[in-house]
Amino acid sequence: MTNIIRSASRRDVLKITALAGAGAMFDGALGHAAPNSMSMMHENSFIPAYDAYFKNTLAPAYEKATGIKIIYETVSVGSLQTRITTVAETGSGPEMTLTFFNWPFLFDEKLVDVSDIAEEIGKKGGGWHESAKEAVIVNGKWKAIPFGNVGQLMNYRMDWFAEAGFKQFPDTWDELLEAGTRLKKAGHPFGFELGHGFGDNHGWLYPLLWSYGGREVEPDGKTVAIDSDETARATDFCRKFYQQTMFEDVLGWTDPSNNKAFLSEQISCTNNAESILYVAMKDFPDIGKVTGQAQNPRGPKGRFHILAPWSHAIFTHAQDVKAAKDFLVWLMDPKQVGGWYEVAVSYYGPFLHMYDDAPLWHIEPRNLPYRESLATSHLPGWPAPIGRQQSESVAKYVVVDMFAKACAGKSTKEVIADANAQLKQIFKSA
Amino acid sequence: MSVSAHSQSIASPAIRLRPAPSLRRWTEREAVFSWLMVTPPVLFLCALVGYPFFYGIWLSLEDRPVARAGQFVGLANFTADWHDPVFWQVAQNTFVYTFAATILKMVGGLALALVMNQDFRFKNLTRAVMLLPFIVPTVLSTISWMWILDPAFSPINWFLIHLNIANPGPSWLGNAKLAMGSLIVVNTWRGLPFYAITLLAGLQTISPELYEAATIDGASALARFRYVTLPLLKPVIFIVTMFSVIFTFADFQLVYVLTRGGPANATHLFATYAFDVAMGGGQLGMGASIALAMLPPLALIIIALAVYMRPARS
Repeated sequence: MTNIIRSASRRDVLKITALAGAGAMFDGALGHAAPNSMSMMHENSFIPAYDAYFKNTLAPAYEKATGIKIIYETVSVGSLQTRITTVAETGSGPEMTLTFFNWPFLFDEKLVDVSDIAEEIGKKGGGWHESAKEAVIVNGKWKAIPFGNVGQLMNYRMDWFAEAGFKQFPDTWDELLEAGTRLKKAGHPFGFELGHGFGDNHGWLYPLLWSYGGREVEPDGKTVAIDSDETARATDFCRKFYQQTMFEDVLGWTDPSNNKAFLSEQISCTNNAESILYVAMKDFPDIGKVTGQAQNPRGPKGRFHILAPWSHAIFTHAQDVKAAKDFLVWLMDPKQVGGWYEVAVSYYGPFLHMYDDAPLWHIEPRNLPYRESLATSHLPGWPAPIGRQQSESVAKYVVVDMFAKACAGKSTKEVIADANAQLKQIFKSA
Repeated sequence: MSVSAHSQSIASPAIRLRPAPSLRRWTEREAVFSWLMVTPPVLFLCALVGYPFFYGIWLSLEDRPVARAGQFVGLANFTADWHDPVFWQVAQNTFVYTFAATILKMVGGLALALVMNQDFRFKNLTRAVMLLPFIVPTVLSTISWMWILDPAFSPINWFLIHLNIANPGPSWLGNAKLAMGSLIVVNTWRGLPFYAITLLAGLQTISPELYEAATIDGASALARFRYVTLPLLKPVIFIVTMFSVIFTFADFQLVYVLTRGGPANATHLFATYAFDVAMGGGQLGMGASIALAMLPPLALIIIALAVYMRPARS
């Protein structure tokens, strides 16, 4: 077996070298030397078929069409930001990368302006959703091409909710509190992350704050506004919600905890991406059948969701920026990207309007709330203009810990004062 | 006079017969040879430890957002740390974590070493098995601890509930105090074999004759331990404690896998907080200042240890 692999890879190397050589000669004659290969950095998807589709279908197709080999370099979950930091700081490594959250703002100066191709791709795809623009337009320039949103919504047990008298998922936070109180008494508590994970904590706590009218900073991007009656009401609600519907362990949860708890039937409701339903349908079909998904509840000031965008950016150190842009245009063409979206069902909700009613949304109709949520999704820090300070606030868990400390017993006044002091220090330089 | 002239005449041809002082002889001189041996590791250390260290100091004096040029700000980052309540919580956590885990490892490791120093069947096998927590990659063993500390799957909670001691069982990582306690236990579990095996090596260098002599003098087991074992083991205890303090103080993996500093910063240590601020928050300068803040207290602990545990000069 080893020998076969070895000889195959030797043959491949010879083939690639010969092709590349021929290509180089041809390009030389035309006066433009296209690169032999380019690399795209991605975080391992929890859906193996998604990464495999790029490696086995998209990359070979592009190589066949252009002679340029695309290397799909994956990094383990949770380490992409560290890797991008290294690449951006040293100015060497892959030409293109996946970005999350507000990273186009964080790595702004090391990313190529892709406004031209963003417009081209947008035109071809029926226009961009507004939230896509919030995620990647830095100082008027597109710094990445939006790919998909990994929405964070309510995941719940339809059977247990029905037993407690809720045929539909509650529409407001107060109704959800009532459902949770009954369900906890029936032995089916809720489990919402209040610890230091990557995303499942921010995923519901920012929307909760916004739905009560609270915010970290005013739209001027400078004035810290966390110390408000709205924040106090959201904090009081959160404490009550925690005490009446959950258990202490959620205060120490990280991201895998709620998936584990839901799939082992310890909790009846949580806030997560589509991954719970996806895994349940695959590995725990009985739980899959009774798992529902719904948009976040409404608060006094509306309904909100966290924006968790995946986008593709080009580093400024790329030797041939045009070749990288050409690749992204090719990748985002419906012929290519359509298939890539579909292997992940609707886990990566497209940002282009042409997919608003695409078949991928009808593979699993229970995923439709993720599509609806895009219109009310924002990055942490909203409604202030997004910038670097939000990354610091998220990394220091200012909002998450404000709520978590209140749940653990501190007074509302005290936890807001802590958050206020931290935010004032973070936004001092803004 | 004549003697000296004679001796000179003998000495001179001898020198002439030998080749001129060669490179070989020069390199064999102790002063040269020692430097030749020391230079490669020193260069190695300068490149891999010295450069990052001084770069870290430089970074800590800059306002240096990731992917952007830095701006010299003097001690502004340290001033900001001084006013950051989380920084002080992190400092307190790190001291509690290091102090408690080191004491537990020292006492437990010494006890384990004393037991392992006895003769019993399967002694070698037991010694090998004892090393397992130290050998298994920390991230892997920590994932096992994640399950052990999950109230729903924890065997500890299972016992507590079935023996009617607690129901529901404690939340090992959700409760701020228990979370720190759990991390200390996991750190102790991982670090115990290092103490035990090193102290065991130290114990085996103690001559049995000393124990015999003490026994003849009527010393009890406790007295033999107090007046023979402990004083002779002191240098080893000092070295192993110093290593342990350094590694525990700068621990990262355990916290990163188990709690990532939660709940509400109750388990954040210097290393994890510095990482979050530098990498997650993109504030390299501030991150470097938090990491560097470890240096003075760590140096003080080491100096204190060196003074207190210095081998007695007789």
